[in-house]
Amino acid sequence: MSFPGPVSGQTPADGGSPEPGAGAGGYRRLNRKCMLSMYIDYAVWYAVLLVAYILTKTYAEGFLGSYYDLIRYGFLLVLGVALVYIAVAPPVFYARYRYRITEDRVDVRCGVLFIRHTLVPIERVHQVEITRGPINNILGLADVTITTAGGEADIRYLEIDEAETVADRLNNLIGRMLRERMPAAPTPRPGAADE
Amino acid sequence: MTRPDLEAEGCTTDAGMDAAGTGTAADTPTRHGERIRCHPSIIVERSLSAIVVLAVLTTQLGRGALPAVLAILFIGLALFNYRQWSRTTIQFNERDVVVERNTLFKMKKTLPYAKVASVNVNRGILNRVFGTSRLLVNINSGSGATVPEAVLTFRQDVAEGIRAGMAERLYGHETAPEEEPAEPPVSFSPVDVIVHGLFSVSTYQTVFGFAFLAYSVVQLYVSTVTGAGADGKALVSLLMFFSIQLAPSVSLIFHYYNYRVYRRGDTIYLEHGLVRTYKTSFAVSRINAVRVKRTLAARLLHRSCIEAEVVGLASGSGESLRPVLCLLKDDATQQRLLEELVPEFVDEHARERQPAGARSVLLIRAALASLALVLATAYPSIYLYHETAALTGAAGTVLPYALPLATTAAILAIFYATRVSYRITEFGTGTDLFTFVNGAVDRETVVMNYDKVQMVRITRGPVARVFGVARGKVYLLSAIGGANVSSGYFAGSRLAAVGETVMGRIASGEYDYRKNSI
Repeated sequence: MSFPGPVSGQTPADGGSPEPGAGAGGYRRLNRKCMLSMYIDYAVWYAVLLVAYILTKTYAEGFLGSYYDLIRYGFLLVLGVALVYIAVAPPVFYARYRYRITEDRVDVRCGVLFIRHTLVPIERVHQVEITRGPINNILGLADVTITTAGGEADIRYLEIDEAETVADRLNNLIGRMLRERMPAAPTPRPGAADE
Repeated sequence: MTRPDLEAEGCTTDAGMDAAGTGTAADTPTRHGERIRCHPSIIVERSLSAIVVLAVLTTQLGRGALPAVLAILFIGLALFNYRQWSRTTIQFNERDVVVERNTLFKMKKTLPYAKVASVNVNRGILNRVFGTSRLLVNINSGSGATVPEAVLTFRQDVAEGIRAGMAERLYGHETAPEEEPAEPPVSFSPVDVIVHGLFSVSTYQTVFGFAFLAYSVVQLYVSTVTGAGADGKALVSLLMFFSIQLAPSVSLIFHYYNYRVYRRGDTIYLEHGLVRTYKTSFAVSRINAVRVKRTLAARLLHRSCIEAEVVGLASGSGESLRPVLCLLKDDATQQRLLEELVPEFVDEHARERQPAGARSVLLIRAALASLALVLATAYPSIYLYHETAALTGAAGTVLPYALPLATTAAILAIFYATRVSYRITEFGTGTDLFTFVNGAVDRETVVMNYDKVQMVRITRGPVARVFGVARGKVYLLSAIGGANVSSGYFAGSRLAAVGETVMGRIASGEYDYRKNSI
């Protein structure tokens, strides 16, 4: 498991202690392999789009009639924009992605065009799930999905070990919280065993 | 609670069961451990829809051996439903309700009282014929929020008795008995119900509905003038109007007929319904948010209604799950009812309007939307112009320019909505509550409790970043599982205050998990 260097310029807004091995602000970054996973994922979708374009260009002229040229150029425009996005998005996604797990919260900052900052209180976590698609499986990556009663948050493209560690840490934090809430068991009176 | 025995109450015990299974349904949940069955009328209820389908099939295809096959199918279905009924038992224990089905596909469902969000009763036509009621048990689950965890049919008085007993456990007191109805703080007349049915439907839905109606009327008019018969388009449009506009309105009027709402202790009670009657109650602590809604038509009438986000009120009948605390009433009455019913959700904090940066973002968004609209309509506009330029008369004057004119009107509407949206969108934070106000056409004020927030997400788009603003989305547990409420454009630090307050309340112990556990 490799942890990239500290992330500068980020300071924790809370008093909760971040997990060990995290950067200065308590935030972690992803492994660079995430970019490869994204490139492969995008390439598959781009291939599907390309096939749709070729089929449209070859067979749809009679069906589309006077709209044929308009739709073909529109398709080409979409293909061009998608190509630019595919080339640029993974490095930007990697550069911006930060996540942090403290005693009381999960904090994820990510996004390419739209930057999202998601805050999930540990208190609200119902379920933690590790998922791996075929591409991530090959690359040894996994996603952690954190489910609350109101919605889900993801920590994506973690190395498998790291994903397991994150899930364990979250489960431990939830378990500890629940144990603290259980009514204290009555302590045996001194000498009770002798009676 | 003392109650007569089971046979007198009209419930069925399972005679062939173990020693614990010789009690009465009506005593539940105070006499525990007895296994009871639902009222046998559910066999008829469950078989009825199949009877209708089979009867239609028989009349349409009733030749040869088919009626005999259908009759065998029906008998098989009735026997299946009988077996399901006879082998399904309900047990009200000290700590939970257990519903168990001992058929080929066995099922055992345990619903701990601690997790039960609501126990409600409703009655449909068949229930009235058989003198029964449906008892709906819901737990506070986000995943199964739209379907009750148990739907149990008992004789009416038995169902009421069980509901009262369970309410005692859930809310710490019995539900209001029929003999002593609580005085509702506001009474709702049939006119209020009709006004609510007609004008609480979303404005967009109304516009679409009436557009279909207008199209249908024009088609009928043209067909009358030309002497040709009305074609399918007019009929389809009319059906669309019925399904989009008329049916929801009529359904609302039927649903909220005889509407009563009152609060006793920390429990809110709702009673309404014309064909199917509903008796719903829930603890105030189960309310996650309160929405004050004003559609465009309602605003013109100076009326507003109140809805609550409460999980665990599913009836399984496909009706709206969000309980209405006040039908469309004049704003002053609505505010008074809000203060009397749910003073916990009366926000007294100041609200702020969007900063100047938001105006620029909204205008750029409107410009982009307009540009997209122009690009989308450019080619069809040119095409329509070429096709209709040769026409004479009024059609030749109007049609070539119809699409550009419609596009211009749409662009003006977009910019007007943007202006209104900038003016009315607000955000306010208080000690326990925070508020989002949204909606250029149909306005909505959502008051939320920090302790009910499940997750907060703040999003900064490329344009919003330039102007130093962001949008917030708050995730709550809602009647349909999860729901989110979005804010307008505000400074990121202001929106982040919501999440920080949630965390602060958890850390300081102000958040009481016992009141908010789900």
